[in-house]
Amino acid sequence: MTLLEVEGLRVKIRTEGGEVTIVDGVDYAVEPGQVFGVAGESGSGKTISVLALLRLLPRGATTSGRALYGGRDLLRLSGRALRRVRGRELAMVFQDPLTSLHPMMTIGRQLSEHVRIHEGLSRRAALARASELLAEVRIPDPKRALEAFPHQFSGGMRQRVAIAGALATRPKLLIADEPTTALDVTVQAGILRLLDRLRRESGLSVILITHDLGVMSSIADHVSVFYAGRIVESGPPPELLSAPRHPYTRALLDALPHPEAEGRGELQAIRGLPPSPRNRPPGCAFHPRCAYATEASLEQVPLLRPVGERRLLACHVDPFAPGP
Amino acid sequence: MSLLEVHDLEVAYRRQGVEVRAVVGASLSLERGKIAGLVGESGCGKSSLARAVVGLVEPAAGEIVFDGTALSPLGRGARPRHETRLQMVFQNPYSSLNPRRTIGSQIGDGLRLGGGGERGARRRSVGELLEQVGLPSSAAGRFPHQFSGGQRQRVAIARALSVDPSVIVLDEPLSSLDASAQAQVANLLVGLARELDLALLLISHDLAIVRHIADRVFVMYLGQIVEEGPTREVWAAPQHPYTEALIAAIPHADGSGTLPEALPGEVPDPASPPPGCRFHPRCPHVFDRCPTEVPPLYELGAGRASACFLRDPLGPVREPTTIHEGVR
Repeated sequence: MTLLEVEGLRVKIRTEGGEVTIVDGVDYAVEPGQVFGVAGESGSGKTISVLALLRLLPRGATTSGRALYGGRDLLRLSGRALRRVRGRELAMVFQDPLTSLHPMMTIGRQLSEHVRIHEGLSRRAALARASELLAEVRIPDPKRALEAFPHQFSGGMRQRVAIAGALATRPKLLIADEPTTALDVTVQAGILRLLDRLRRESGLSVILITHDLGVMSSIADHVSVFYAGRIVESGPPPELLSAPRHPYTRALLDALPHPEAEGRGELQAIRGLPPSPRNRPPGCAFHPRCAYATEASLEQVPLLRPVGERRLLACHVDPFAPGP
Repeated sequence: MSLLEVHDLEVAYRRQGVEVRAVVGASLSLERGKIAGLVGESGCGKSSLARAVVGLVEPAAGEIVFDGTALSPLGRGARPRHETRLQMVFQNPYSSLNPRRTIGSQIGDGLRLGGGGERGARRRSVGELLEQVGLPSSAAGRFPHQFSGGQRQRVAIARALSVDPSVIVLDEPLSSLDASAQAQVANLLVGLARELDLALLLISHDLAIVRHIADRVFVMYLGQIVEEGPTREVWAAPQHPYTEALIAAIPHADGSGTLPEALPGEVPDPASPPPGCRFHPRCPHVFDRCPTEVPPLYELGAGRASACFLRDPLGPVREPTTIHEGVR
């Protein structure tokens, strides 16, 4: 059964210059035990679209659409019900783990308080559980780590601690926003392996936001590519990354240095810049940067439609459709 | 002779009264018209080495020879004219540009300094510098916040170019940029190195981009250069287990669904480095020599070198006694 179903999600933020649409009608579904990848450049609305699910948006933001989780609409839950779901069943980790860890509290106190509040354990039982959590995310010597403060850990270890905190209440869905972007590749590999193990062993679902298509490729079960607040293409990574259908997805892949490629020609940058949410082009928002745009692209917003097994595409032209 | 040579450089600082050696006897050289990449995990001393190279920190030992002259560390006064030809670009251009001044006036500062080098006579205008980094000359009247991240990094590069440098050290110039902006700035760097005959030192934890644009690569671990060589060869056949691990940890955007290899452990605290080979506690090939002896950087020919006992020309395994005989 689908864990989370998002339909027609729209987020508008009021600014000095009027109301700006950040997320402009997004639909997707996250299955249990699945890593659902959200890819795209900065400013594409990927982070805002998940903060909206947790109702963590800044004041002045309005959200419409539906986000069905266990038969309830997250966007309409209020007060206690919202807090219960958010602390317990949905958890979040950020790019910089220091934003979610208290600098003046020991790791043990932070983790155990979290467990005590949500599961009503005694102080002693909560500490034991905190130690278990640290062991689960492979922190060496968990007993000693309980006594330590966040600054005493390296970036990779801090991210492990933040994940341990997020897992404290055994959530069903973990939202991870660029969790490895600030880390070295060697440490990143460890965190990806950790997420993979949690998914396999405890059926955890993960919404993974990253601009790194290499990270996507190694762990995601499904990828949605965001551009200017909309999903332009989605599908399983093996097909999506080896045969992208949307010109934007293809351009993103072409901009990457290919480790295995022998040639050392120029990297293919995408011409122009991503549009600001204040100033999104009409029609297909990618058209000013697209080499394949037609008149239809200038006039009509392309709808996300199925193109083969589990794949969706929003492009009028579909220049990379497989031949007959 | 190389344009810039670093010999046995040591950089040390004090942390809570304890001396920490961030760079321990590192040597490297930069050539005109070439890009050298310096890679390694955070905490390996890359940035300390970079800062010492441009004279922002005083080395504890060793020597930096720039165009035949030993470099003096940057003091309180003005920097010697010829040393303005050594420039640095940082990761976050937003913090190195003044938010309240137009970018034209900031680039103009460098032009007024006049540069010192042999090309100093060839005065260029702000507009020409902007065009050189791929921005329209009309951008001169705008402020830093009016640019995207990639454009701001171009502005920072234009400012570095304004004093007519011959060496630019770039500390993670691409890591805060999206893929497309990263590709543009990477292409720009290659073009500048070739056209202006600049020597670039590119510090990055992103091996894929270094692989793509650097001619030579230096791999650093815990304050030491552990491997160096032409980028393509190092990539195709790494000669140090650490380089091997770094390459294996890169995820590939090929849709194959293979998880990258994690390197166990962490970079140890430079205040108390492991004895012997500094990499031995994390090395999958560790053997009895590694914890007790310090491996020298073995020259392997064709410009390659590795600091690993597995590359010892006399064979990896030796009785300790033979070494003492050899020394005496």
